[in-house]
Amino acid sequence: MNYLTRQELAAWLDRLAQEQTLIAPIDVAGNILYRPVKDTHDVVWDFTRSFMSVKEVFFPPTERLMLIEKMGAEIKLTETLPDEKSIVFGVRPCDARGLLTLDSLFIENEPVDPYYAHRRENTTLIGLACQSLGPSCFCTNVGGAPDDPAGMDIMLTVSGGGYVAEIITEKGEKISKRFPVFDGLSDIRPHPSSARKQGMKIASKEFWPAKFNDDFWAETAERCLSCRICAYVCPSCRCFDVRDEALPGGDGQAQSERVRCWDSCNGIPYRRVAGGHNPRFMKNQRLRNRFYCKFYYFPIHYGPVSCTGCGRCIDACPVNVDITEVLGYMGRR
Amino acid sequence: MPYEPKIIAYLCTWCSYTGADTAGIARLKSPANIRDIRVPCSGRVSPEIIMRTFEQGADGVLVLGCHIGECHYNTGNHRAAKRLPVVQALMAYAGLEPERVRLDWVSASEGERFSRIATEFTEAVRALGPIHWKISERKTRFVWAQEPISHRYSAFSDEQPKHAVYFTSVHEQHTQAIRSIATELLSNKQVDCVIGYEMGPRGRTRPAFIHQPEAVERLVWNQDCTHNLTAYLSKKLGWGTDGGKKKQPDRLPKAAVVAKPCDSRSINVMLAENRFLREQVYVIGVACDGIRQEAGFNDEKSGPIQTRCAACNVRTPVVYDTLIGEPETTYREIPPEHIYPGIEHLDAMTPPERMEFWLSQFDRCIRCYACRQVCPMCDCPICLYERDDSLWVGMSNDIDEKRAFHLGRAYHLAGRCVGCNECERACPMDIPLSLIHRKMAQEMETIFNFKAGMAAVPPPFVTILGGEENLP
Amino acid sequence: MTDQLNSNPMMPYLGKLVEVKDLATEIKLFRIKMQNGGAEAFHDYKPGQFAFVSSFGIGEAPFGIANIPKNGGNVLDFAVNRLGSVTTDLHELGVGDTVGVRGPMGNWFPMDEFKGKNLIVIGGGIGGAPLRPVIQTVMANRNDYKFFQILWAARNPSLLVFTDEYDEWRSTPDTELHLTVDQADSSWNHNVGLITQLLESVAPSPRNAITITCGPPIMIHFVNRVLVDKLGFKPEQNYVTLEARMHCGIGKCGRCNLGTKLVCVDGPVFTMAEVGALLESFL
Repeated sequence: MNYLTRQELAAWLDRLAQEQTLIAPIDVAGNILYRPVKDTHDVVWDFTRSFMSVKEVFFPPTERLMLIEKMGAEIKLTETLPDEKSIVFGVRPCDARGLLTLDSLFIENEPVDPYYAHRRENTTLIGLACQSLGPSCFCTNVGGAPDDPAGMDIMLTVSGGGYVAEIITEKGEKISKRFPVFDGLSDIRPHPSSARKQGMKIASKEFWPAKFNDDFWAETAERCLSCRICAYVCPSCRCFDVRDEALPGGDGQAQSERVRCWDSCNGIPYRRVAGGHNPRFMKNQRLRNRFYCKFYYFPIHYGPVSCTGCGRCIDACPVNVDITEVLGYMGRR
Repeated sequence: MPYEPKIIAYLCTWCSYTGADTAGIARLKSPANIRDIRVPCSGRVSPEIIMRTFEQGADGVLVLGCHIGECHYNTGNHRAAKRLPVVQALMAYAGLEPERVRLDWVSASEGERFSRIATEFTEAVRALGPIHWKISERKTRFVWAQEPISHRYSAFSDEQPKHAVYFTSVHEQHTQAIRSIATELLSNKQVDCVIGYEMGPRGRTRPAFIHQPEAVERLVWNQDCTHNLTAYLSKKLGWGTDGGKKKQPDRLPKAAVVAKPCDSRSINVMLAENRFLREQVYVIGVACDGIRQEAGFNDEKSGPIQTRCAACNVRTPVVYDTLIGEPETTYREIPPEHIYPGIEHLDAMTPPERMEFWLSQFDRCIRCYACRQVCPMCDCPICLYERDDSLWVGMSNDIDEKRAFHLGRAYHLAGRCVGCNECERACPMDIPLSLIHRKMAQEMETIFNFKAGMAAVPPPFVTILGGEENLP
Repeated sequence: MTDQLNSNPMMPYLGKLVEVKDLATEIKLFRIKMQNGGAEAFHDYKPGQFAFVSSFGIGEAPFGIANIPKNGGNVLDFAVNRLGSVTTDLHELGVGDTVGVRGPMGNWFPMDEFKGKNLIVIGGGIGGAPLRPVIQTVMANRNDYKFFQILWAARNPSLLVFTDEYDEWRSTPDTELHLTVDQADSSWNHNVGLITQLLESVAPSPRNAITITCGPPIMIHFVNRVLVDKLGFKPEQNYVTLEARMHCGIGKCGRCNLGTKLVCVDGPVFTMAEVGALLESFL
């Protein structure tokens, strides 16, 4: 493995930022968010968890799928695939796990979603292991760990005044070549993180159908606001809406774009059809669907459980709907 | 090429449009910058249309109607007269120069008057220069580089936020009082449900719905009781819009709700809007000594009070069936200028600075709609800004759409928002929404001497769209 | 161009409207001629599958394909009821206009498994549209299927679809066509009453039979109740095609699920046994 001081890390990232887009955690009005930066001047080096997950980079809140141009009765469609090369620095293991979960949906499940796939292919992830678990973190209960390198291209672990760097994939190899700090190997190994959380077994898939009609869902949903915060901050939620929206047209050609935007099954209009029929018009149906999708439907269709234990939804919910309470209830016999 | 302002003029068909015609027939000169749009009445020009006109690139908007007292529909122009100053104030606050919007009265025969107003307005707009309201690059990120102004800013601007003094023994008394009333109401079947507060397993206070007397021990009262529980009333009382739940024909649902003074004002607004009947709700009013910042989001017991509480001068619920607590234990004298904290900072900025400020705030918005969902007043069957046909605003995360949503919502809440600030608390991105809503409240008080929710009366004018207008 | 479109499942093929005609009140038939590789993609879709039709500028929505492949998938029929923003925009279009078509998607009626059986097709309102390819398949391969009964219903005569094809259906050998409306007008001289009442009076035998129902959710529910409770059918014999709000159609956006099943990928065709086993109700 290699060892970098903070200065060496910053210098390396600054060089990379000149060749590709560097996306790093910065403070935006008190919220840690991953944003493109010109250099490491504003990067936040010590943080626990960003507010929005790295999912934003690969599956953006709004994404243009194609440009639509109308010329009389004729239509011209232009596919708009993203092709920017970028590097994301400071990815936490829970977020990388979220990306692996989305990979199972968008890439490993046919047909491949080219927008997400292009972004994943063109982006290198530099991970940062967590030194401790926050009060709402529960990654270890869903099979993750604060030092889990799964999904990272390079993994950094804080050690002494610097970082131990492990180059994991070819992509990671590529961005570390040419930089002298990666030439000599060091004997320093990262300590395995001792941070673990006790309790709360996650009920496996088979236990979920039996509790589908329990009163618990209505009771929990009573305070739910049906906003979309939990789905939007989640590293693995993936619901989206697709619509055409007009662009300020130039040259007399009517232009619009087909966009896809984040949506959430918690929202009231999520399943409402044009005629007004809505099979999930009650809050308890929607809230229940969210948890069942994460822990039951998603694994059946795509493999992994759609929760990385990051705890963002717990801290962001204005009425304290708590996923760990749900999991605790499901785990009880 | 010298800047030629694009002006859109909304002219009412009965008076001002004909007045424009008269000007034309008399060969009076009117600037070519003006594009007329004929509407049945100046009262038809809703603020959403005006805001959208600016979004689409107009440099100025002129609304001309019949003279007061001469409206073809009797009171149509009254609506315009009431709305336009409010919408002007809102847009000025968001960074649009107020001189870009003008409301005036022109009758059918006043060709000269039309020509004069049109020329004056065009020159005024020309003098302001090209408008910066329309955002050409919608994907730009806006970051506020200066000193942050947020809800964390103290009401007493130069001082640090006041640390709260929580009367914890009083809280314990209130808890017992609430539990005993709830037991009585549920045992006598006076209500189907008591909506109050409880502590969750993580030690965070949250809304609780008690249906059985055995469960009243869950109810608490403390400094973290921040939620405006009246937001749940419409649906609990069977009149909500959630899937068209049918009203029970034989017996109307009843609920009791624990209401702080600010929350109780919401009840008045909802009663004035016929959301439910007064006899359906039993209000357990609580005289409140202030709610902690961060309430509901962590389990700490003490901290500074919320800005809205530091500025609150309504210490007793305005409507209640039972009152718990005495305002004297909680009363603090608030100087009048601190009732609307934070606004003076924004008012002191120039319009471009204000616009930069608001763009940088809305930039962070993720359109989670938590602000709307948590608000007791926002209860339209389909939100105007969420229509499937993207008529008013699309669904994407672009800055102009987010601004349109927030400003539109602020207008819809003018005269209805009671300042509970739950929207700001719920916002995951710390957008200082209260700074807009309080500004609207200030305008309503200045212009109409109206304070929302102090009594169950309608506001000076209707800001929300009616049933037919609001459905696709 | 074709390669690019093939590899991006969100990009529609272009199609030209070659015929637009009124089928019923607020319901139009759109006949679309596929272009730029679309015909290849649709050359052997099966009855029951659906496609997304785009009205460019507003959006796209899923519609059951209302005919069997003709001319190598070159021409597709869709019946569109004007209800929301996409359908309203589609109704504004005329012959010569361009639309987008994305598909074919979903599963299909297992017509091969139905061979040698009696078929009963039950359509309510615009629900008849996805059943038309079933009828066309039977007519084109008449000897493969046994007795064929078509029950066709609508709220009133002006909402019946494909009325100009009834004579052709009736004149197919060993085929019965039964019509009913909830509310008749003066020109109506067939049955009056709900589809469930018609079904009870026609009383098809469950022996060696398959029923295929499409219509509003509540109709599907009550028709199935009659079939199972009063006529002795087993839920496995009753096929339905369900609707749901969809935005991708390819199992990504997560919207159209009913319990564990995604209507776009695991459906839209289900047996009522499968529907009964769903955790969530489609109602």
